[in-house]
Amino acid sequence: MTELYDRIEEAAAAVRARWPGTPHAALVLGTGLGGVADAIAVEAAFDFEELPHFPVPTALSHHGRLLCGRLAGLSIVATRGRAHVYEGYPPWQVVFPVRVMRALGAELLVVSQAVGGLDPRYRPGDPMIVEDHINLMGVNPLIGPNDERLGPRFPDMSRPYDPELVDVALAVARREDFVAHVGVTVAVAGPNLETRAEYRLLRWIGADVVGMSTVPETLAAVHGGMRVFGVSVVTDMCLPDALEPADAEVIVRVAEAAAPKLEALVLGVLRHEAGRAGA
Amino acid sequence: MEGLAERVAQAATAVRARWPKRPRLAVVLGSGLGGVADSLALDAELPYGEVPHLPRPTALSHRGRLLCGRLADLPAVVFQGRLHLYEGYALAEATLPVRLARALGAEVLILANAAGGLDPRYRVGDIVVLDDHIHCMVANPLTGWNDGRLGPRFPDMSAPYDRALAAVALAAGHRGGLRIWSGVYAAVSGPAYETRAERRMLRRLGADLVGMSTVPEAIVAAHAGLRTLALSVVTNRALPDAPERDDAAEVVLAAGAAAQSVRRILLDVAAELAREEEGE
Repeated sequence: MTELYDRIEEAAAAVRARWPGTPHAALVLGTGLGGVADAIAVEAAFDFEELPHFPVPTALSHHGRLLCGRLAGLSIVATRGRAHVYEGYPPWQVVFPVRVMRALGAELLVVSQAVGGLDPRYRPGDPMIVEDHINLMGVNPLIGPNDERLGPRFPDMSRPYDPELVDVALAVARREDFVAHVGVTVAVAGPNLETRAEYRLLRWIGADVVGMSTVPETLAAVHGGMRVFGVSVVTDMCLPDALEPADAEVIVRVAEAAAPKLEALVLGVLRHEAGRAGA
Repeated sequence: MEGLAERVAQAATAVRARWPKRPRLAVVLGSGLGGVADSLALDAELPYGEVPHLPRPTALSHRGRLLCGRLADLPAVVFQGRLHLYEGYALAEATLPVRLARALGAEVLILANAAGGLDPRYRVGDIVVLDDHIHCMVANPLTGWNDGRLGPRFPDMSAPYDRALAAVALAAGHRGGLRIWSGVYAAVSGPAYETRAERRMLRRLGADLVGMSTVPEAIVAAHAGLRTLALSVVTNRALPDAPERDDAAEVVLAAGAAAQSVRRILLDVAAELAREEEGE
């Protein structure tokens, strides 16, 4: 197999062949951000199958597309549909789209995910702006020989999520008059949901929400020198002492209902970036 | 491929061909601590590439040489350059130096590493003698079929670090006027440094230090029946509520600056072991 760096360049070249832009931001549009995808003025679109080394996601409601175009006054690239660790993809491939979007020039990563709420003050449908994370996946996409062209051997993680953008998003929520939390997400491999005892443990170690994605992408982005904005939508509450069975249909409905809030936060952050970049 | 025991035996044969003695002591030196090996009266030097099955380290400031000689008059081998999980090695491979040390006849293993200090009392340059560990790497070097010739299926971990050796190390530190502590080390895979939330979690779990090595080696050493002493140099402060940016180059510099402290403890422990031997 070719080196990771060459694989990234190969995929980036396939994108550049049809789209000559330099994106400012890269968006990984998970649950709740489908509407953002619709708001993009798409200039080029690719199925993951068309791009070398891209993962072909299997998860329900996630079909893999790479969209290139403009959004909120910025040149952007975005992925719809992502590969998860629980699907069996090797960690390098889970974060491969982020690597390619970085190679295309993106300096900001925006990620979203559906999460379970551990902080009892949260309610289903609330967005949580990610302030920090705990990686309990048992895997790390940076394990293996390090290629200095992609980033340093030991990337600093003292501030993986840009504090300025956390404030920008909070200001958006206040202006639009909805509740948005700021908290810590813990990433687990899944795919089974957690037991009550596990939720109790996750809360005790300091997590406010629990999810099965985002953290690998953040690790790769910080490694590559990107700033990160992460937002989660609480789709159900994971309260160990009042736990109800998870209902996939309800989770999807809650995520859809919360979508306008997530969109407002992401678009607000992108507009702030556009203002900063003077674009 | 041969079994682990056969690979270890082949590596040991290759070392004996160059240095026929039986070491009493084996030392593994971590990030920035390679200079500690200067204390060794050198008989032979083998790059890892000359020892069958020994992988070559890819990590910053890890040289990848096996040094054979005498430390405070005790036959010793020093592994200058450690192998880590984050480099992509399976832990059974990364801990091969420990198996090799055992196969050569060593009874005592000294592990030195650079670590982040979670205990707010620690300062950069302090030495911590490991009292215990928490294994947070997920992977375990003993997973898989167990070869009873190498050790038991379910090794005891009630005291992976030898208390008598730890006491000797602490006394040596105090005698030398060093800032030295006894603490619990949490091992994580890395290679990213921990987030603030992760450090808060590790502190809450009971860890005083965090690092990306040592514990797999200590587990294998316990499996193989070696007495283990582990020393950490605090090379960065891992304080979640007063975060500083972590910089690998600074870590290596801080470790290098503390090498003299580690060297002093190492020589005192070796001298104590030599006295033990005479007393026997």
